[in-house]
Amino acid sequence: MAPDIDYLALAPEITLAVTAVVVLLLDLFLPRRQKYWTAIVAVLGVSFAALPLIALAVSDVGDRAMLGGSFVVDDFALVLKGLFVIAGYLVLLMSVGYVESDRYYQGEYYFLLLMSILGSMVLASSRDLITLFIAVELVSQPMYLLAGWRKGDLRSNEASLKYFLLGVLASALLLYGMSFVYGLTGELTFAGIAAEGAGKAGEPAFIMAILFIIAGFGFKVSAVPFHFWAPDTYEGAPTPVAAYLSVSSKAAGFVALLVVLYSAFPDASGVWGPAVWILAALSMTLANLTALRQTNIVRLLAYSSVAQAGFMLVPFAAAATTDAVGLGEAFAATVTYIVIYAFMNLGAFAVVIAGARKTGTGDIEGWGGLGSYAPALGALAAVFFFSLAGIPPLAGWIAKLVMFGAAMGAGSPWMIALAVIAAINAVIALVYYARVVKTIWMDPVPATAPEEEVRTASVAGSLGLAIGLSAAVVVVAGFFPSLVTFFSDATKVLAGG
Amino acid sequence: MNLADYLPIAIMLLLVIVFAGASIGLGNLLGPRRPTPEKLAPYECGIVPELEPSQRFPVKFYLVAMLFVIFDIEIIFLFAWAVRFRELGWFGLAAVGIFTALVIETLGYVWKRGALDWNIPRRARYRLSHDVADEEAA
Amino acid sequence: MTVTVDWYLILAAVLFVIGAAGLLVRRNAIVMFMSIELMLNAVNLTFVSVGRELRDLTGQFAVFFVLVVAAAEVVVGLAIIVSIFRTRATASVDELSEMKG
Repeated sequence: MAPDIDYLALAPEITLAVTAVVVLLLDLFLPRRQKYWTAIVAVLGVSFAALPLIALAVSDVGDRAMLGGSFVVDDFALVLKGLFVIAGYLVLLMSVGYVESDRYYQGEYYFLLLMSILGSMVLASSRDLITLFIAVELVSQPMYLLAGWRKGDLRSNEASLKYFLLGVLASALLLYGMSFVYGLTGELTFAGIAAEGAGKAGEPAFIMAILFIIAGFGFKVSAVPFHFWAPDTYEGAPTPVAAYLSVSSKAAGFVALLVVLYSAFPDASGVWGPAVWILAALSMTLANLTALRQTNIVRLLAYSSVAQAGFMLVPFAAAATTDAVGLGEAFAATVTYIVIYAFMNLGAFAVVIAGARKTGTGDIEGWGGLGSYAPALGALAAVFFFSLAGIPPLAGWIAKLVMFGAAMGAGSPWMIALAVIAAINAVIALVYYARVVKTIWMDPVPATAPEEEVRTASVAGSLGLAIGLSAAVVVVAGFFPSLVTFFSDATKVLAGG
Repeated sequence: MNLADYLPIAIMLLLVIVFAGASIGLGNLLGPRRPTPEKLAPYECGIVPELEPSQRFPVKFYLVAMLFVIFDIEIIFLFAWAVRFRELGWFGLAAVGIFTALVIETLGYVWKRGALDWNIPRRARYRLSHDVADEEAA
Repeated sequence: MTVTVDWYLILAAVLFVIGAAGLLVRRNAIVMFMSIELMLNAVNLTFVSVGRELRDLTGQFAVFFVLVVAAAEVVVGLAIIVSIFRTRATASVDELSEMKG
């Protein structure tokens, strides 16, 4: 008896898996001079994985569920899969020059990155706890290794070990919560848990299970107080890997959190609402205050990404206190924020890779005068950092706007308080983002800067393409927000809005 | 058997914990602490230790352990398929075939990389021909 | 005296707490690994005993996957430790503090 399998719905995942295997085999048999083929195959594979996504999006079959409802391809899954494919593509582009120039093991690098992308694709479709867990692990485990990719560098080793230990602790918490949910409801699919758990929201064991699950995902999205690993790991890991961690890996954690909280525990919003409220307030405030003191650009981006996670959690907290329509709005607000954040943060990291090569340092002070000898790069840095700060007309502004809209729409005093906290933090964040731009454009070139030819050397083609694509999205989406909201509105299906 | 029968044992256990905890705790609390390098050094029959006892096992053992763990655990999926072999039919056979092919691919990968060789030379040879990172060191 | 499912759940909870405490208190990376394994096996024990209580196979089914993921985790962790050994001969997490902030 064969289960009913919709191969078109699985096609993106199958494409990625086959690509990963091919890359691994190629790496084994290619001589060292021709290893760049692994990069080409990886980029092609990720591009091909987008084709079935488009086919699925235009087909009028509607939602495709299989394996007893464990694997569902609906509009929500498609939009997020699209985001993961594009983000993966951009990270691959960033990696090409970086991995080659620093003489890493190339084949395995792309293999592990592809595996992680595969995990995030499965994650968007998973609708039961075990599939979700496998997907989350498939996203994280290659990243533990990639964080330590510079094997001879002690800082990279440290990055890897910290990320690994805390990541595994998170998985254990998550699983323990899952085992309690299973014990109380006898179900592992989200639909089953929602049906069985309807009257159990007040039981202590159920509350504990939900809190364990939130804590587990809190580590994955690096929300305060589960963020300790993020700055050290981002700093020690190769920069493209840090970009991936801060975007795809974090988005994957958010998708998992969205799916679990909305579709498995809709009736327990009284439990997870306040927990998420606290996480959001803490993440925004503590991370922003710490970011003010950072002197290293990657650490600054790390704390900034923790703070952004706090902003993304605001609509979550709002969702707990509103009706079904408000739930849909809050849901769409989070997705909008994730999509826009992905592009602006990837762009910022790509600029950091290019800038670090020109200035030879990761210290913000060393970046003085970058705008004078690399005006295009300096301008793009301004675009991404101001977008992260939420200045109109760049896309980050839309993200902040929908976030505040969701918080104010909920209308309760607690949510208005959270909106006020978010507003104060947006101002604090502006200070450190603007400081980077000021250093780049207004400070003199420091004496420690490398010689002229390094500073004016052109940026690698693929990296330039990654920066250009991200910048295009950030600018265009700022003027035409419907480009993003069209997709995020489609994801409301999951919230029933 | 009655739970009350265990009462003396429980009391005994409690006393032991209290006594041991109190002795260690009070010792830590009241005793003076003046650490010197000699006192902090590991005690090796009075001989001054010359080497850090850090690498107790050669790394090779870890590698074998890792490979064993990863290939060993694959069996449980085959087991689940084997007990329902007939009901799963051709679909099950195909799925397990793909799974096995992937495991064999991994084995081939490990083999080619020289990880199965107890002696280092083969791995080194692979690195010389494939790994650019060693080029600088050479 | 019969052994009910509660006993298994309590045992699992105790194992989980021992593992969590070990992970937080101990500083040797390999001991921290063992603590992690303890936590994951506590989860397995919970799944299996609850599944038996519910007369439901899904719990055992979940354990299959948790076991495999745990194995992969151990291998990844050992690989990281081996690479740290090679860079610097230590397994103590405290000695790894290049970055502060």
